[in-house]
This record gives sequence, structure tokens and C-alpha cells, in this order.
Amino acid sequence: MSIVTQCIANADREARYLSVGELSTIRTFFEEGRHRLRIAAILTNNEQQIVHKGSQLFWQRCPVTPSNSDDPTFQASCLRDQAWYVRLVTYAIVVGDVEPIQTIGLYGAQAMYNSLGVPLKNLVDCMRCLKEVALEMLTLEDAAEVAPYFDCVIQGLTSR
Amino acid sequence: MQDAITALINTSDVQGRYLDNSGVEKLKAYFQSGELRARAAIAISANANTLVTQAVAKSLMYTDITAPGGNMYTCRRYAACIRDLDYFLRYATYAMLAGDPSILNERILNGLRETYNSLGVPIGATIRALQAMKDVTTGLVGTEAGQEMGIYFDYLCAGLS
Repeated sequence: MSIVTQCIANADREARYLSVGELSTIRTFFEEGRHRLRIAAILTNNEQQIVHKGSQLFWQRCPVTPSNSDDPTFQASCLRDQAWYVRLVTYAIVVGDVEPIQTIGLYGAQAMYNSLGVPLKNLVDCMRCLKEVALEMLTLEDAAEVAPYFDCVIQGLTSR
Repeated sequence: MQDAITALINTSDVQGRYLDNSGVEKLKAYFQSGELRARAAIAISANANTLVTQAVAKSLMYTDITAPGGNMYTCRRYAACIRDLDYFLRYATYAMLAGDPSILNERILNGLRETYNSLGVPIGATIRALQAMKDVTTGLVGTEAGQEMGIYFDYLCAGLS
């Protein structure tokens, strides 16, 4: 949920118009929109490279894992899911909120991967690698904007 | 409830795609018009009562509907009418800020026509009042923002008729 919808939902609950404070928050959000779209475009355009480099790094750090076991199906699924999480991160950047990552990619993810026999610990390592290679492609400032969303994925997949 | 951004994300996600160029261009335009939208919202919220009064004066006040036997006759019905117009204006303002009409369906239009029909509220008069509200709102916020608000007033009219 973007800050716009959040403010509207709050105002609606109290049957009032948005306050000047809320509107100035929204205004800042609009102003930074172009910037967020630019960062999301960088990740979108480099998705293949991020997934490629990320998986190489992952298999180097974590060689004993289903996706590295000469099973083409496991390998393809692993690459596909990495690309999915990169895509969800771009959504979250654009909307400025972790909600798309959570609702699309995290609710039920642990249960699903457990039932598929994917070792969660390895998956989390994989997401860390993905984060590292993605941040390497960005300037320090852009990286600071993107890092929290990858952290959200990592946190959400970490079993407690 | 969604806005221009979440609407685009939801349609892209169903297809498993990244945001495409046309979508990104739409979002850029949405972000660029942010200042306009926020300003319009401030002006409308400060003048909401006046806008409703003016819209009623323009469309309903001097017609048969306020005379004995009309659906706005007796203060209670009159009050219910301006309360509804107040709602319409507030929700149209929300939708204008969000750049997406979904909230109008969720909070206003679902079941409204049936409710009005069962209460004997004339849909035609409601639409006239909404069109009048569009005009007076445009008079307040200017042509550009007025056009944007107009989209959502028209959306309400289309949903009612």
C-alpha cells in the first residue's frame, strides 16, 4: 500500500479530508517518484545479470544445494524464483512500501519451500548473494534505497 | 482500495512481468501531477461545504424536487441529500489523489443504485447534482485539476446510471 492509499484509508476511517500534513507527505512521495522509477528501471534492465551473477556467487558459497546438483529442473526453478524476487523488489521500490513483497512473495513462502524440500537456509543465502550483486550495480545512494527491500525478503524467508 | 501505482503493480504481477514502458510513463505523469493533485485536495477540503451548497443551488434547489411532494422535501430528506453529496465530493477527492477510481466502487457505488431506487431517490437528479458539483469544483481548482476531478464525478455518474 503506497503512502497515498495509506493516508486515504486513515482519512476515510475518520470520514474526513486529508490533513495538510498528510498531503505534504504525499507531495514528497510524488516528488521522489521519478527517482524511484529510475532505480527500479536499473534493476529491471539488469535482472538477467543480477540473477546470473547472484547464482554463481550462491553456488560458490553454498555448493551443496538442490539447484547445484545437476538437476536441470531444480536449477531452472532456482533461477526463476530469484528473478521473481528481483521483480517483487522493483515493485516495492516503485510503490515505496514492502507490501508487494510480503503479500506476493512472503506469506506462505516458508511453508511452500519446506514442502518442496528446498532448504530455507540455502535460499536465504541465495537472497543474500542476490542482494550483494544487485547493490554492486548501484551508486551508494541508490543502494541505500534498495537494500531494505532485499533485507525484507531475507528476513521473511529466515526461519525462526 | 488501490492507487495508480498499486493498480499497475497488480496487473503486472498477474502476468509475471516487470512494469512496462507505457506503465512507467503513466506513473511518471502521475508523479508529476502530484503537486496539482495535492493543491486541489487542499482547496477542496477547505471549501467542501461551499461546493456542496453551490452545487445544490445550481442543480436542485429551485426545482420541483424541493417542493412538497419532491424527494428533497422536508428538511430530513434535504439533509440526507447534502450529506450524500458531501460523501461524493470527499470520495472523488480521494480517487483524484490516488489517480484510481477503485475506491469509488468500494465505498460508494456498490449497491447505491439499488438503495436509491428503494428509497425513491431520483437518479437523474443525483446525476444533475454531480455534474453541477463538477462545474463548481472546476471553478474553484482551475481547469486542469477540474478535468482530473471531472473523471471521478463522471465515473460516479456512469456507475449510477
